[in-house]
Amino acid sequence: MSASLLLQSLILGLLLGGLYALLAAGLTLYFGVMRVVMIAHSAFLILAAYLAWFFTKQTGLDPLLSLFITVPLFFAAGYGMQRALLSRLRPATLTMMSVLLTFAIALVIEGGLGYLFSGTQRRIQLGYSGASLELWGARIAVVKLIAFGLAAVSLLALFLLLKKTRFGQALRATIQHREAAQLLGIDTDRIAGFGFGLGLATAAVGGTALALDATIYPSLHWHWIGPLMAIIVIGGLGSIPGAAIAAMLLGVTQALLQIPMGTTWAQTVFYVALFATLMFRPQGFFGGRLAQRF
Amino acid sequence: MLSASRHKQSRTSPGRSVLATKLVAAAVGLGLVLAFPALAPDPFILSVGVVIASYAALAVAWNFVGGLTGYISLGHAAYSGLGGYGTALLITEAGVNPWISMVVAAILVGVAAMPIGIASLRVRGASFVIVSIALVLILLLVAQSWAGVTGGSNGLRVPRPFGTDVLRPEQHERFFYLFVGLTLVALALWWVIDRSRLGTGLKAIREDEDKAQALGVPTFAYKLVVFVVSAFFTAMAGGMYALWFGSLDPIFQFSILTGSYLVLMSLLGGVRSLLGPVVGAVIVGYAVEFFKNQYGDTQLHLVALGLLLALVVLFMPDGVIPWVTAQFDRLRPGGTSIREVDAAQLAEERKALEEAKS
Repeated sequence: MSASLLLQSLILGLLLGGLYALLAAGLTLYFGVMRVVMIAHSAFLILAAYLAWFFTKQTGLDPLLSLFITVPLFFAAGYGMQRALLSRLRPATLTMMSVLLTFAIALVIEGGLGYLFSGTQRRIQLGYSGASLELWGARIAVVKLIAFGLAAVSLLALFLLLKKTRFGQALRATIQHREAAQLLGIDTDRIAGFGFGLGLATAAVGGTALALDATIYPSLHWHWIGPLMAIIVIGGLGSIPGAAIAAMLLGVTQALLQIPMGTTWAQTVFYVALFATLMFRPQGFFGGRLAQRF
Repeated sequence: MLSASRHKQSRTSPGRSVLATKLVAAAVGLGLVLAFPALAPDPFILSVGVVIASYAALAVAWNFVGGLTGYISLGHAAYSGLGGYGTALLITEAGVNPWISMVVAAILVGVAAMPIGIASLRVRGASFVIVSIALVLILLLVAQSWAGVTGGSNGLRVPRPFGTDVLRPEQHERFFYLFVGLTLVALALWWVIDRSRLGTGLKAIREDEDKAQALGVPTFAYKLVVFVVSAFFTAMAGGMYALWFGSLDPIFQFSILTGSYLVLMSLLGGVRSLLGPVVGAVIVGYAVEFFKNQYGDTQLHLVALGLLLALVVLFMPDGVIPWVTAQFDRLRPGGTSIREVDAAQLAEERKALEEAKS
C-alpha cells in the first residue's frame, strides 16, 4: 500500500466523516428534544437528494441552489411532523413507538419515491463532476470537498445557533430539563417542534451533498440508516460531541479498511463497533447520562 | 397467595360460560383453518394461504419477545433468514435429510442467538430496536458478499423435500398444514409461558424493568430465555419457508420489511393476547399479498404498509383484540375490575395522584 493511497484514504475518510457528523447531529437533536429515534432521517436524506436531482434536471441549475427550497421545506416538515404526529404518542412508550412511527414514515417516503421516479438509479451530471485536486500524490474529487464544506458550514451554523442565540438557549434548556424549562416560561412544545425542524434541515443539506457525488435510488436509505444509527449509539444517544467524534473515527476507519477489504466488507466496521460498544459500554463511549436508560 | 386463589375463584363462576364460548370459538376457528385447502378455489389462493400461515408462525414466534417483554425487534428476519440458509446449506452441502436440516438449523440459530441476545438485551427501548435493525443489515451484507457459500444475489436453490410425484398444489397443501402445526406448537408454548412464573417475571419487565429487578426477578436470564425461544421458532419458520419456496435471495431473506410485517401483525392483533399475532397475520398477510398483486410493479405497497403501521401506532397501539374485548367488557358488569395496566397508565395515575396531593 503506497503512502499516497493511504493519505488519500485518510482524507476521504475525514471528508466522509464530516458528512456523517452532520447527519448524526440531526439524529442526536431529535433524541435530545423528544427522546425520539428517527429512523426516517436517512429516508429524508434520500428525498433531499432526489429533490436536488429533480431540480437540476428540470432547471439545469446547480443542485446546490435547491437548498434554498429544500431547507425551509424540510424545516417545516420537521415542525409539522413533531407537532402533528410524534407529540400524540403516549409518553411512557414514546421511545419505542416513535421508532415504529418514523419507520412507517420512511416506508412511505421510499415507496413514494419509487412510485414517482421508479427504481432506476439516478445521478446528477455536473460540469465539475470529474474535477479533482492533487495533494501530495492523493487525488481528492472536488465534489467531495464541496460536500464536506457544506457539512462543515452547517455544523458550524448549528453550533453557533445552539450556543449563541436565545432560541439555542431555549432548545438546550428543553433538552436538559423539560419541566424546568417550562417553569422559566419556555414554550417547550414549540421549541421541540423547531428542534425537529432543525434536525430535518440537516437532512436536506446532507442529502444535497450526497446527491453531488452518489448514484441514488429509493432504497438507498437502508445503506445509511445502519451506519448513522451505529454512530449515535456508539457516541452515546443524545450527545452531539459524542456523535461527531464517533462519526469522524468511523468514517476514517471505514475509508482505511476499504483498501484491504473492499467497500462492502469495510461497511461492517459500523456494526462490529456497534456490537462491541454494547458489550463493553452500553451507554456509548462519549455520551453517557441520557443514554443510560434508552 | 390467598388473594390470588380467591381472585381465581371469583373468576370461574361467571367465567365458565365464557370459557365454553372461547373453546367453541377456538374449535370453529381451527376447523375453518384446517378446511381452508379444501375450500381454496385455485392453487394461487392456496399459496397465499401458505404465505399467511408462514406469517402467522413468524408473528407468534416474534411475540415471545415482543409481547411478553415489550422489547420490539424489527430485525427478526435475521433469524428466519439464517434458518432458511442453514436449512438449505445443510441439505446441499452436508446431504442431511431436509426435515432434520430444518430442525438442526433452528437449534443452531437458537445457539447463535445467545451471544446476540447477551449483547442486545443489555440496552433497552430504542437502542434495542437499532441493534435489531443493524443485525439484519449486517447479515444482508454478508449474504450478498459471501457468494461462495450463499450464492450471493444469484440466490440459492433449495431442493424440494417431497418427491417429484408430489404436484405443486399438493405441496402447497402439505406445507399449509405444516405451518399451521408449527404455529399451534408455538402458541401452546406461549400460552404455557404466559401462565408460568417465567411469564409473570417477563410481564413485570414489560411494565417496569427497574422495579422487577428490584423485586428480585432475574431479568436478564428471563429475557435471554424468551429471546432464544423466539429465535428458535423464527428460524424454524424460516427453514420451512425455504423448503416450501425452493430458492433463497438475500434481499428477501434478510429484509427489514419482513421484520416490520411481523411487528405490524403483532401490534395490530394485539401483543398481549395469545391469538393477537395470528389475527394480525391474517389481516396484514392478506393485505400485503393483495397490495403486491395489485401494485407489484410500483412501490405503492410500501406506502400502504407504512400508512397502515402509522395508523396502528397512532390510534390502536394495544391492538384489535384488546380493543374488541374492551368493548365487550364494558357491557359486562364488573368485567373491567381485573385489568392489566401498562407503564403509561400507571405514570398517568401517579401524576394525577401527585397533583391531587399538592
